[in-house]
Amino acid sequence: MFRLSSLMPRQTTSPPFDLDAARARLRDASGPRYWRSLEELADAEGFQAWLKTRFPQLSQDAPLDRRGFLKFIGASMALAGLTACSHPPQTELVPYVHGQSEWAAGLPRYFATTLTRNGYAQGVLVRSDEGRPTKIEGNPQHPASLGATDIFAQAAILQLWDPDRSQSLMHAGEFSTWEEFAAAWAALRTRFDRNRGQGLRVLTRTMTSPTLAAQLAAFQEKYPDARWHVHEPGGASLSQSQDARGAPISAHHHFDRARVILALDADFLSDPAGGVRYSRDFIWTRDPERGAMSRLYAVEPTPSITGMMADHRLPLESARIGEFAQALTQRLDAAGADAGGASMPAQRARWLDALADDLRGANGASLIVAGFAQAPAVHAAVHAMNIALGNVGTTVEYGATIEALPKQVLAPRANDDGSLRALAIAMRAGQVDTLLVLDGNPVYDAPADLEFAAALQRVPHLLHLGLYRDETGALAEWHLPMSHELEAWGDARAFDGTASIAQPLIAPLYGGKSAIELMSLLLDGDFADGRAVVKRQWSSELKDDDAWNAALQAGVVANTALPPTSAHAPRGANRASPSVSSAFDQNIGKLELLFRPDPTIGDGDWSNNGWLQELPKPLTQLAWDNVALISPTLAAQHRLNSGDVVELRSHGRKLRAPIWIMPGQAPRAVTVHLGYGRTRAGRVGNGQGYNAYALRTSDSPWQADDLQIVPTGERYELATTQHHFNLEGRDLVRTGTLVEFLHDPRFASAHDRYDGKAPSLYPDYPKGEYAWGMSIDLNACIGCKACTIACQSENNIPVVGKDQVHRGREMHWIRVDHYYEGDAENPAAVNQPVPCMMCEHAPCELVCPVDATVHDSEGLNVQVYNRCVGTRFCSNNCPYKVRRFNFLQYADKQTPQYEAMRNPEVSVRRRGVMEKCTYCIQRIETAHIAADKENRKLRDGEVVTACQAVCPTQAIRFGDIADPHSAVSKAKQSPRNYAMLAELGTRPRTTYLARIRNPNPALKDET
Amino acid sequence: MAQIFSTHFGFLFRLGALAALVIIIAVILLWRAVMAYPAGVQDALEQPVPFSHKHHVGEDGIDCRYCHASVERSAFAGIPSLSTCMTCHSQLYTDQPMLKPLIASYESGVAFHWQRLHKLPDFVYFDHSIHVAKGVGCETCHGRVDEMPLMARVAPLTMQWCLDCHRNPQKYLRPHDRVFSMGWQAKDQLALGEKLVRAYHIDTRRLTDCSVCHR
Repeated sequence: MFRLSSLMPRQTTSPPFDLDAARARLRDASGPRYWRSLEELADAEGFQAWLKTRFPQLSQDAPLDRRGFLKFIGASMALAGLTACSHPPQTELVPYVHGQSEWAAGLPRYFATTLTRNGYAQGVLVRSDEGRPTKIEGNPQHPASLGATDIFAQAAILQLWDPDRSQSLMHAGEFSTWEEFAAAWAALRTRFDRNRGQGLRVLTRTMTSPTLAAQLAAFQEKYPDARWHVHEPGGASLSQSQDARGAPISAHHHFDRARVILALDADFLSDPAGGVRYSRDFIWTRDPERGAMSRLYAVEPTPSITGMMADHRLPLESARIGEFAQALTQRLDAAGADAGGASMPAQRARWLDALADDLRGANGASLIVAGFAQAPAVHAAVHAMNIALGNVGTTVEYGATIEALPKQVLAPRANDDGSLRALAIAMRAGQVDTLLVLDGNPVYDAPADLEFAAALQRVPHLLHLGLYRDETGALAEWHLPMSHELEAWGDARAFDGTASIAQPLIAPLYGGKSAIELMSLLLDGDFADGRAVVKRQWSSELKDDDAWNAALQAGVVANTALPPTSAHAPRGANRASPSVSSAFDQNIGKLELLFRPDPTIGDGDWSNNGWLQELPKPLTQLAWDNVALISPTLAAQHRLNSGDVVELRSHGRKLRAPIWIMPGQAPRAVTVHLGYGRTRAGRVGNGQGYNAYALRTSDSPWQADDLQIVPTGERYELATTQHHFNLEGRDLVRTGTLVEFLHDPRFASAHDRYDGKAPSLYPDYPKGEYAWGMSIDLNACIGCKACTIACQSENNIPVVGKDQVHRGREMHWIRVDHYYEGDAENPAAVNQPVPCMMCEHAPCELVCPVDATVHDSEGLNVQVYNRCVGTRFCSNNCPYKVRRFNFLQYADKQTPQYEAMRNPEVSVRRRGVMEKCTYCIQRIETAHIAADKENRKLRDGEVVTACQAVCPTQAIRFGDIADPHSAVSKAKQSPRNYAMLAELGTRPRTTYLARIRNPNPALKDET
Repeated sequence: MAQIFSTHFGFLFRLGALAALVIIIAVILLWRAVMAYPAGVQDALEQPVPFSHKHHVGEDGIDCRYCHASVERSAFAGIPSLSTCMTCHSQLYTDQPMLKPLIASYESGVAFHWQRLHKLPDFVYFDHSIHVAKGVGCETCHGRVDEMPLMARVAPLTMQWCLDCHRNPQKYLRPHDRVFSMGWQAKDQLALGEKLVRAYHIDTRRLTDCSVCHR
């Protein structure tokens, strides 16, 4: 008789983090050593024991004895048998009434349109299946995309089909109609027509739409006393730089032209406006085979994607970055070795000297960028250094500002600079009668010191246009449902000013209206067609229908990029520069609290998006939660471990948050991420995490320098995937320096016992016409995880929830593993995307009792869902751990919106079935059929997998490896090529190119 | 020692065995009946409009592609829109009672629903266009529709049935100009079929890969 109790999960906690042990282990290790979590680094043996009890985790809700277990199984089988007894339903075919002669039913069509993030345009091509938008691709013709997108553009599909979106107008808590709203507005506007708009305020997000800007200008013209305010909670609110005459300007960076780059707290690779393009440009300069390797220095308080790509990274508190910039300025000016370094540790001075030499040596091909969270003084110093280094005009250009700005920004009036703060002050003073919120949620995301919800009580009329009836919508007198960007006409500008038109892919699902349509209603009093309004706006550039259609089809309006105005040198200080002094004259003894938009759900806009919630956040690999990031040093000081709840105290406000020990965090900086702690986000986002806005203040939105942390002794369960599919000391990632690479180009595979052709007892598979393979360049992967979301969208991958992620059951077919190397205080990092390896000798195939996973003649290891009986033997036998099992019925087959969203070319898997990456077999088959119909061979590049298409840096190449001229074959011929676990003899079709770093020889001993 | 088995045991045992056999056979038959497609092979379903392929194809000689317009481009052959019907029926037989649902639907803009006869399981991704391009005739799967007053399914649509052709395509392939013909027969199908497999560049190694139909 066996005892089920022996299978019961044990109560486990992770061993406490021991920094000294970690250091000791690193000291003793020889050669490069990679680690994924601090626990692993600190205590290999204890960690292994903990891992073994922790995974695979058995169901926690089955405390059964043997008899109960048998009864349960018997009942399950009986029920399963009963439900299986039904014939397929009789289905119906519904013909169109009027023919759609120009396109064939069943063929997808693609439309170019525009999505925005923080107001800036990203050009996309949207796939439409019978009128349903199902997948988003980048638009190769759009400058901010070049064919790729970020995670947010991919997830816009799920947002469009989100069943929690606002579905009707609400007036004082009652359902209403647009006609009733129009009548109510007509009553309001008679008063504003008389009093020039006194008491009327409009609040928008950062906005670049020329049409909406023109409407707002007309609105201000019509109601001169009305005011327009801008609030962008997760980005720079109003234009940050000004030229010599005080006019706002925008900086436009050319990373492709830079050989030495310094990022001062600037995460340019995930910049909301240009991040996708910047990533492409930056990686273009990181090709060791082409002989072009730029060098990136990063100085930052909290690790970012950009910092983790840096060749040299310096963790430095945000408040001390000004000091750093000043010291660097002095070095660049004086060209002297000891300038300004009196109070500086020798090591830091050496770092600065080497950096200054490197920047000067690049001869006008260097670039310094500062992040939006830095004080205007730092930006001014950066502008000055760029001028001194001769970068202006080559790597950085200044142009007119791209955002549309309220009049008050250019000519501030008393107490009014167009900010949310000015609005809140006016509200409290009773000066606001009607507040119109155009797509925003200030009740949730206003800084705590404004007490916005309280101030709203003095506003008689709140009109809220939003995608969701969120925290603000719930308080509004009128909540108006907004149409999604994929449902409405619109326009926007990209980071370089290029304008593009947004066209709807589908009629508004819930009768929403866009901001443009609402403004038309407010201006003219009647409902306007969004298309007509946008078309009228562009009538001077796009003169006839042909030009209009061409712009729509291309997804960009040609020649609208704003020209550089290099003559305008940026002016030093910004109008609002209260923190100049705090940047230089800081109080180092205290902790500083940093506010950052969450890497996956932004400032709260994406809280209700299951794909983004479940995407393990870059660096921490946490899903479904936000944490307070603290440095290993600080954790050791307070004897804290990841998951311990602390109380954060700042400016007399308190907040409880679980901590996470972040390798590479500046010692005295604590980072909190915005966007969580929503109460009215929807079913997915409500109640997840804590609301970091509760500590934020309006005068210093990105940092507070009086933080205290108080341990509470409580613990909070966090779901991280960092421990899943553990490394176990194997040699999965390979890195080298440029010097090592030049010395021995084949360093990555030199020590392999077999060069991918290990002797095998198994016969080779019969060769087909093509041999599909993939190459992933670790040197190009920045770890943005767009591939994971693109794959999720393309392949109908379900969301499983925090509890299931915690049990190691996340379903992502391509995961991005994150490895650290070196010291816990300042590690280097490598990202490794892991899809199915498509082994030629696949271990999974041999153990399947029902032949549900087999090889096809073109080398794909296919999973046949209708054969799978769910033994999970294949997953156990997979050395790469890329197989995913449907432990429960994860795919939502009830919600009609999700049915409409899914890719019709991919099966929706049910409970009890194994699944995994297929190399996007539906795309292979579609291309195959197209080529076979024309009796020709498939061309290289005709099959593009979803992960390959979305990758901003083109790290993933896919194609026929039997053709030596294909792009993927050429990539695999690189000396950096290596196969993961080649010694197992699996002959993976997916191989990797080793990561190359380019450290400064002058800083040999440092990272 | 007393008898373990009574004298009636032999009879009862045989009776029991017979009953078990009958029950097993009955269960199997019942299961098959329950699991079968609602409309079996050769079962014509009642449709809202009794559309006759026999009349339109056999007597009027309308090409398959006039109505199933996307058959050469898309996975889906296409169900004609009502406006396609109305190209003729706005003039012809407009007063016939059997066309009332058509005209009513066309005028109201709300289409009536056809009963579907050919339905593959969700995990099968069949593509009409490639089959037509590689010389599989309409008739091969759909039968002599030109002789069907009401449409009926002629093929079982089972995987075994699919594989019959995927394993031996030469048994069924036609020249391109005969794909849409009804009643066509080759003089020597096997010889022609083997020639066509080469001419169409059909990679027979691949035809039985799972990934060709399942994803």
